[in-house]
Amino acid sequence: MKTDNDVQVAGRGIRQSMSSLHTWAGLLLGWILYAMFLTGTVSYFKDELSQWMRPELPRLSQIPDQAVVAQRIADELSDIAPGTSQWSIRLPDARNNSVYAFWRTPAGNPGGRGFGEANFDPATGQRVTSRGTLGGEFFYRFHFQFHYMPVVWGRWLAGAAAMFMLVAIVSGVITHKKIFVDFFTFRWGKGQRSWLDAHNAFSVFGLPFHFMITYTGLVTMMALYMPWGERVAFKNPAEQQQLNAELSAFIQPGKPSGQKVPLASVEDMVRQAQERWGRDNVGRVNAVHPGDAAARVAVTRGEAGRVSMSPQYMEFEGTTGKLLAVREDVGAAAETRGVLYALHLGRFGDTVTRWLYFLVSFMGTAMVGSGLVMWTVKRRQKLPDPDRPYFGFRLVERLNIASIAGLSIAMTAFLWANRLLPHPLEGRANWEIDLFFIVWAFTLLHALVRPAKSAWVEQLWAASALLFLLPVLNAVTTQRPLWHSLAEGDWVFAGVDIMCWALAALHAVLAIRTARQETRSQFRRKTSREAPTAVASGGAAG
Amino acid sequence: MSHLLSFALCLTGFTALAFATNRQQRDIFGRLLRPSTTYVHRMVSACALVFALGILVARQGWSLGLVMFSGHATIAAGIVFCALIGRARTFGRKLL
Repeated sequence: MKTDNDVQVAGRGIRQSMSSLHTWAGLLLGWILYAMFLTGTVSYFKDELSQWMRPELPRLSQIPDQAVVAQRIADELSDIAPGTSQWSIRLPDARNNSVYAFWRTPAGNPGGRGFGEANFDPATGQRVTSRGTLGGEFFYRFHFQFHYMPVVWGRWLAGAAAMFMLVAIVSGVITHKKIFVDFFTFRWGKGQRSWLDAHNAFSVFGLPFHFMITYTGLVTMMALYMPWGERVAFKNPAEQQQLNAELSAFIQPGKPSGQKVPLASVEDMVRQAQERWGRDNVGRVNAVHPGDAAARVAVTRGEAGRVSMSPQYMEFEGTTGKLLAVREDVGAAAETRGVLYALHLGRFGDTVTRWLYFLVSFMGTAMVGSGLVMWTVKRRQKLPDPDRPYFGFRLVERLNIASIAGLSIAMTAFLWANRLLPHPLEGRANWEIDLFFIVWAFTLLHALVRPAKSAWVEQLWAASALLFLLPVLNAVTTQRPLWHSLAEGDWVFAGVDIMCWALAALHAVLAIRTARQETRSQFRRKTSREAPTAVASGGAAG
Repeated sequence: MSHLLSFALCLTGFTALAFATNRQQRDIFGRLLRPSTTYVHRMVSACALVFALGILVARQGWSLGLVMFSGHATIAAGIVFCALIGRARTFGRKLL
């Protein structure tokens, strides 16, 4: 029979084991997790960032009639891509000022990627020429598949990091002794204790979000990570097709008849969708074999206002415009996946909800960052000689600098590159991305050659300066400076500029505090030499 | 409007919850409050948070309402936390 003491010892043992698990699960892929969290956080405004990165595209003061726009672009596509087997149009909405379309090109097309794509002006239907950039899409794609590696490898790496994160969250909750008693506790100026309190605050306040975002992140790519169930359940192409229909609004192309018949009015089809889902709530128009007697058109519902990514669409016969089917429900399993997917992406929300997502996700980034820094803070106190730490400590410390402060610099450099690279540059979009990684690599180099404290302070100041000057650069290099944006009520451009200044201020505060911390640590070390007992009370914070 | 009202209720709820914890009572009032007063703070906190959730669910439905409530509650708790730090820093300085 267990005594109370046995239970206490066993309990303590579990907590200590969980603490070690939490520490190492958080650290080993912590730098990747930090990058995933920060770029994912920014991605909640990827459409707005894409608008900012294509300043040539005019602002939409109001959303144009999607039905008229759809017809305009469909007509344009029949000229640009005659004989295509498939095209898809993303209509303009409150967050997108242009129409994006892609279309399949015939096999064997010279230089062919197998498809073409372009942005169109919703007012004229003409293709718009803007600078080559991936826009906010780069951060979005980076946060789950990284870059310079096969997409599948990147997604596996992101999955491994998310799994580590999930372990860190669960073990962290078990480790935290007084999750409710210490809910509002922060002990200022106590070194390691302060870092722990800050880490706990970032973690506990946003705990439901952190758990949800990590778990749903894994769900978004569950078919890649655990394909076996699907392989067993759906064996032949027909069953696979049925599965696809549950997951997306993709119409299986089938075979063209070879008989040329023009598409019926796309405007009328979208008009029917508008009557069903609302004037501005149509997402895409997809067509297979347009211009053929076997054409089919699917008009999909927009993402706003429903917490589900399960497809909802109306399918029409392409040549007559006759409504063939309305799809608004999927099976329970597919709907569960759709809801979890939507929770991760957060595209359903209004502007306030998107800001809530952004801020809580930012807390998640701070949680990972403070956890990484705390690893060094905790161990610095135990170093025999803090000026000559062992290799592992130095490695973690330098990687922390480059992955936290360095990433801020690299992300801002990406935006600077967007404004400074010449427009006709071959592969301009790729150059923006290359510069992001070149600058990030330089921050790692800088962190390796400079003393740790100096590297932190210098990189935080550099990030602050780059962020502060970005709106100035925008004013100099585009026709849309902040005062113009404010006067026009262009909140996308004004918002990015103001956000840059807010983040510049945040980095400046961090730089100042880190520099002061250095001074205090030096003072403590100096006084400890004079009065050895005094150092016992002071923790050298990082 | 529902966002603003819910956020204000979340802020009220977490402020009351903070006043119901022993550590904050000692820091703010210099002593522990009576158990009945602490109980009232807890009840006010619970009611405010439930009302905030109710408003959002009534206006936006369960799915959107729950998500929005989660966001408002997190940010409100963070603001109360920062306010307590600010108060402790200001009060500490005045003592010096």
